[in-house]
Amino acid sequence: MGFKKKNRHVGIVGIGETKFSSHREDVNQPEMIHEAVKDALEDAGLTMDDIDCVVHGNMELFEMVHQPDLWHTLGTGARGKDAFRLTTGGTTGGTLVGAADNLVAAGMYDTVLAIGFEKLQEGHTTGGITNMADPLWARKLQSGALTDSAAVKAIAEFGPDRAKKAAMLYRIIMDKHACLNPNSHRAFGLDWDQMADLMENSPPLIGDLRLIHMCSQSDGACAMILSSEEKAKQQCDHPVWIRDHITIHREETLNLCVNHYPNETTHRFAARHLYERNGITDPLDYFDVFEMYDPSAWWGADWIRDFFLLEGDAHYRLIEEKEIMRGGKMPINPSGGVLAANPIGATAMVRVAEAAKQVRGNAGPHQIPGTVNHAIASSFGGTMWTILIMLEKELNW
Amino acid sequence: MKNSEESDSYIIHGKLALPYTYFAGRTGSTFLTTLRDQRIIMGVKCTACNRVFVPPRQTCERCMADIRSQWVTVESQGKVVNHTVIRYQDKHLPRKPPFVLAMILLNGADTPMTHILEGVNPDRVVKGMEVAAVFSPATTNTLLDIDHFEPVAEPP
Amino acid sequence: MEKEMNVTDNDNFDTMADQELIVLRKTISVDQKFATGPVMGKFLTALKDKRILAIQCPECGRLQSPPREMCAICRVRNREWVEIGPRGEMRMMEYCYYSSPDPLTGESRETPYGAIGILLDGCQKEEVFWHLLRPEHLEMVEMGIVMGDRVTRGTRLRPVWAQERSGSIDDIKYFEIDE
Repeated sequence: MGFKKKNRHVGIVGIGETKFSSHREDVNQPEMIHEAVKDALEDAGLTMDDIDCVVHGNMELFEMVHQPDLWHTLGTGARGKDAFRLTTGGTTGGTLVGAADNLVAAGMYDTVLAIGFEKLQEGHTTGGITNMADPLWARKLQSGALTDSAAVKAIAEFGPDRAKKAAMLYRIIMDKHACLNPNSHRAFGLDWDQMADLMENSPPLIGDLRLIHMCSQSDGACAMILSSEEKAKQQCDHPVWIRDHITIHREETLNLCVNHYPNETTHRFAARHLYERNGITDPLDYFDVFEMYDPSAWWGADWIRDFFLLEGDAHYRLIEEKEIMRGGKMPINPSGGVLAANPIGATAMVRVAEAAKQVRGNAGPHQIPGTVNHAIASSFGGTMWTILIMLEKELNW
Repeated sequence: MKNSEESDSYIIHGKLALPYTYFAGRTGSTFLTTLRDQRIIMGVKCTACNRVFVPPRQTCERCMADIRSQWVTVESQGKVVNHTVIRYQDKHLPRKPPFVLAMILLNGADTPMTHILEGVNPDRVVKGMEVAAVFSPATTNTLLDIDHFEPVAEPP
Repeated sequence: MEKEMNVTDNDNFDTMADQELIVLRKTISVDQKFATGPVMGKFLTALKDKRILAIQCPECGRLQSPPREMCAICRVRNREWVEIGPRGEMRMMEYCYYSSPDPLTGESRETPYGAIGILLDGCQKEEVFWHLLRPEHLEMVEMGIVMGDRVTRGTRLRPVWAQERSGSIDDIKYFEIDE
């Protein structure tokens, strides 16, 4: 891989998030985005005059608006500034952070504002996603963003009993986290004694993927401000440093139906390369928190194995021993993750934002105990696209 | 089996049909309901740069000031500042060609608004022409509650 | 999709009821045309003759059906065609209870339906063909699993061809149990 080290370090100096919800009739798109932008500028103590470039993104075809970046200037503050629009599916939010990281690291701009948003109530998620598929074949077959493949694979490997329990345990842990996060769209207050009932009675969507396993459709926006080392140190007492990021994708949609085979996933491939080039031999030991883009409980439970390069049932044991909870060995999604809120174009950026807040120590009620020195955030796209972004508290690597 | 050739390629017809919903938000809704119920066109004024925006917006994108409560009423009459003649037919267009789309600066506003201009030969539209809104008898809860603009009658 | 249980409104939308909020519901509908290109065109044309073709990578040897101009893994042009199936083995099913809209019409599809992966005869490993299962057979099929050394056989399936065939995915109505 043609990986080059950064020209200069890049720090996160501002973070803004809206509250996530199923509906925002009170604002149009630019107005909603402006809430996150204003929040990020206030967080950084900056004004738009300090911003050199704006990168903006969401899902294509979701709100049915062509060139939203143009219209959204009313909320983004991009008027008269260098600006880019990026859209890469579910990974969009991670791509935005990665692009901003690259732009600053390369020396093109000192301070970049990245904005991800989605108003899913305005469009049709499943219909929009179906249009990513090959129009001559797969559009007729693809079931939107929903898939049973992770459940099929897990049940084949671990048997229905253990696999279904692990997925539901994962779901309830995420809900317990979501209940602490004031920005959550969905926080049900689920408890362990509801597992059997939910496994049996939550409405089925596809195969063993039930409604309770699946992420929501949310409205909301996220904004982050990234600066070069020199600027970041002037602008902010404690920037969160982006040590490295990796973005990997695979083939197009016609190959999606074969994902249940035991080949190396983009998640494992990305993780392996990222850790190798940063000299990390035991990621489970190294990282203090992981914000995962987990579109369903089945995927979330399964992917722990790939992201931490585990073998066998090591990932299930982490779930079963509740080591992924706040205070556990590897806290996963103290924010509640994607199951708590999924404004898709913002979702992957929210993972980075939440991980960065954990590093700063000011995440709010869902801040995990202890110091967070090393954090990692993932992004996922339906074409099997993975982004991993590594964050550090200290500039000492 | 022999290789594929260019002659194997052909055209398949498809369609993209997707439902969506648009929320005007509070500011947009105030503008539309006032237009619909009172036949009044409202804008918002930025207290920092003194510009009056029509249609309204919550934020002045130049000053980044929150201007959502700075409502002003503008006249439903103004001047053509630019225009174009639509000479092709397509199903998404609001009128049969040829018709005029004009940018109209309403009296009291600082930003022009694009709308349909009728009652004038498309080739006779000039910059500075005085025009007035003609409200639609039926509502669609859109900017088309102004059906079109037309020239103000020449004084005798 | 799910009812909310913790609506904790923030200051920005606390007084929703004091004003009429305008909502527009629309359907965007655009006619499209797709060129099949020579490779997909050859594959789709063969369906008219009830034949399923695959294209083979000259380097790794994998078969792709529907075919692609390139092997994206080896980054070389695919050239050799082979006929596969039309019978095969059930490998993967998305048993869909949720009705997503048909992107061609915007209308919801009938549920339940099964989008399936079939290992057609002549194919191996990941060379799975994607189509639909006959709805009446949804509860009657077994998926074949390959998990390391553990291999189980799936239900044998055969295509049901449409009477009128035009060179499109609809030339196969669906696959059904082959007994």
